Amino acid sequence: MSVVLAASDTAKAPPPTRSLPAVQALEISKRIDGRPILQDVCIDIAKGRYVALLGANGAGKTTLMKLLSMLAPPSGGQLHLFGQRVTREGSPKLRARIGLIGHQPMLYGDLTARENLLLFGRLYGVSDVADRAEALLKRVDLAGRADDPVKAYSRGMTQRASIARALMHGPDLLLADEPFSGLDAPSNQMLEELLAELHRDGKTIVLAHHDIEQSLRVAEQAVVLRRGRVVVDRPTRQLDRETTLAEMTGQA
Amino acid sequence: MTVLGQIVLLTGKDLRIELRTRQTVGLVITLGLLIVTVLGLGLAPEGKLGGYAAPAVLWVAYLFGGVLIFEKTMDKERRDGAMAGLMMAPIDRGVIFLAKLLSNLALLGFLAVVIALFAIVLFGLDLSAAPGGFAGVMAMSLLGFAAVGTLFSALTSSTRLSGGLLAMLVFPIAIPLVIASTSVLNRLFASKPAAGDDGTFLTALGVLVAFDVVFLVVSWLIFEVVLEP
Repeated sequence: MSVVLAASDTAKAPPPTRSLPAVQALEISKRIDGRPILQDVCIDIAKGRYVALLGANGAGKTTLMKLLSMLAPPSGGQLHLFGQRVTREGSPKLRARIGLIGHQPMLYGDLTARENLLLFGRLYGVSDVADRAEALLKRVDLAGRADDPVKAYSRGMTQRASIARALMHGPDLLLADEPFSGLDAPSNQMLEELLAELHRDGKTIVLAHHDIEQSLRVAEQAVVLRRGRVVVDRPTRQLDRETTLAEMTGQA
Repeated sequence: MTVLGQIVLLTGKDLRIELRTRQTVGLVITLGLLIVTVLGLGLAPEGKLGGYAAPAVLWVAYLFGGVLIFEKTMDKERRDGAMAGLMMAPIDRGVIFLAKLLSNLALLGFLAVVIALFAIVLFGLDLSAAPGGFAGVMAMSLLGFAAVGTLFSALTSSTRLSGGLLAMLVFPIAIPLVIASTSVLNRLFASKPAAGDDGTFLTALGVLVAFDVVFLVVSWLIFEVVLEP
C-alpha cells in the first residue's frame, strides 16, 4: 500500500529538478584587453549536477567562473542561470543563489572568521545567522579559532573560512575555483565530503580543479577547456586521466 | 534587511576595522599635523594663523589626508578579494557606495576636527566668530570631497597606478569645492565685509550645494559601472 502511495506521489510530483538548467551558456565569449580568453563557450548544466571544470593553466577556467558568478560580464553570447538571463551585474535575487570559493578568500583579514560569516550572512538575509555561522565553523573545523582575526590564520585555515563564507547563505549553485589549494590531507577530505554532501542535497556544483583524478572521481560531468574553448563535455565515467590530459593539452 | 540596515552594517564594518587597527587614522592624522605645522610655521612665523591663509592651510591637510583615507579604505576592500564578496551579495551596488562614503566621511570628519583643534591650539586659529558656520561649511565641503574620493578610489584601486592617479584625478575636480569653501569661510570670518561680498558668498554657497548634489548623485549612479572585483 505504501509503495503504491509512494509511486502515486511520485507520479503527481513535478518533473525532477535535475532536468532544469542551472547554467546555460550560449556561445559566450570573453575578451580581456582585446585578447580572447573564452570563445563560443556552450555549456548546459542541469540543476543538481556536479561538474568538474578542467583545463591547463590559462585555459579560461577562472574567467568562466567569474562570468558564472556574475563578477564579470561576457563580451558576447548569452548566459542564463536558473532560467534567467544574466544582465551586466545580475539581479540580487540571482546573486543570492550563487556561492563562490575563489582564488582569494573574499574575507576581511582584520575581522574574525565569525564576524566575517555574520557580516555576509546578514547581507544575504540569513535568518538564523549566528547558529548557521557556528554550525559552519564547526563543519570546517574552525570553531576553536572562530574569534581570531582571519589575518592570523594559516593558508589552509583561511581557505576553510572562505569555504564557510561561500556556504553561509546555502547557495543553490556553488562555484569552487581550486578550493582544495592550500588544504592539508584531512581538510582536503573534509571538503570533498562537504561537496558530496551538498551534491546529495541537490545543490549544483562547478568545481575547477587541477587534480584530474580527483575531479573525475567526485564529479558526474566533466567540461574540459582548451585555449578558451570547450573541447569535452561528457559524463566523467566516459573519461579517464590520460584521455582528459590529452584533451587538455590538445594531443588527443 | 532594509537598505538602511545594509548601509549601517557595511559602514559599521569599516569603522570597526578602523577602530581595531587604527592604521588609516594614525597615518592621516600624522600627515595632517605635519602639513599644518610646516605650512603654519611658513605662513605664520609669529604663531598666528588667520585671514585667507587659514582655510587654505586646513584644506591642504584635508586634501592630502583625504586622498590617503580613500586609498586606504578601498585597499582594505581589495585585499583578499573582499570587494568581490560584497559584489556577489544580493545588495544594490549603490549600497556599497553609500556605506563606503559614510565611513570615509566619518574618518575625514575626525581628521578635520583634530586638524582644526591643532591649528587653534598651536597657531591661534580663531573660529569664535562663527564656529557653527565653520562646522557647517566644512561638513558640506567634506561631503562633496568624500563623494568624489569614494568614486575615484573605486576606479583607480583596480589599476597599478592607484596611488598617484587618485590624487591626480581628485585634486582638479575638488578645485571648485576648495575655492567655494574658502570663499564662504573668508566671508564668515571677515571682520569688515567689503561691498559685493554677500553676492560672492551666496554664489560660493550655491557652488558648494551644487557640487555636493551633483557628485553624490553621479557617483551613486555610476559606482556600479566603475566597480570591479
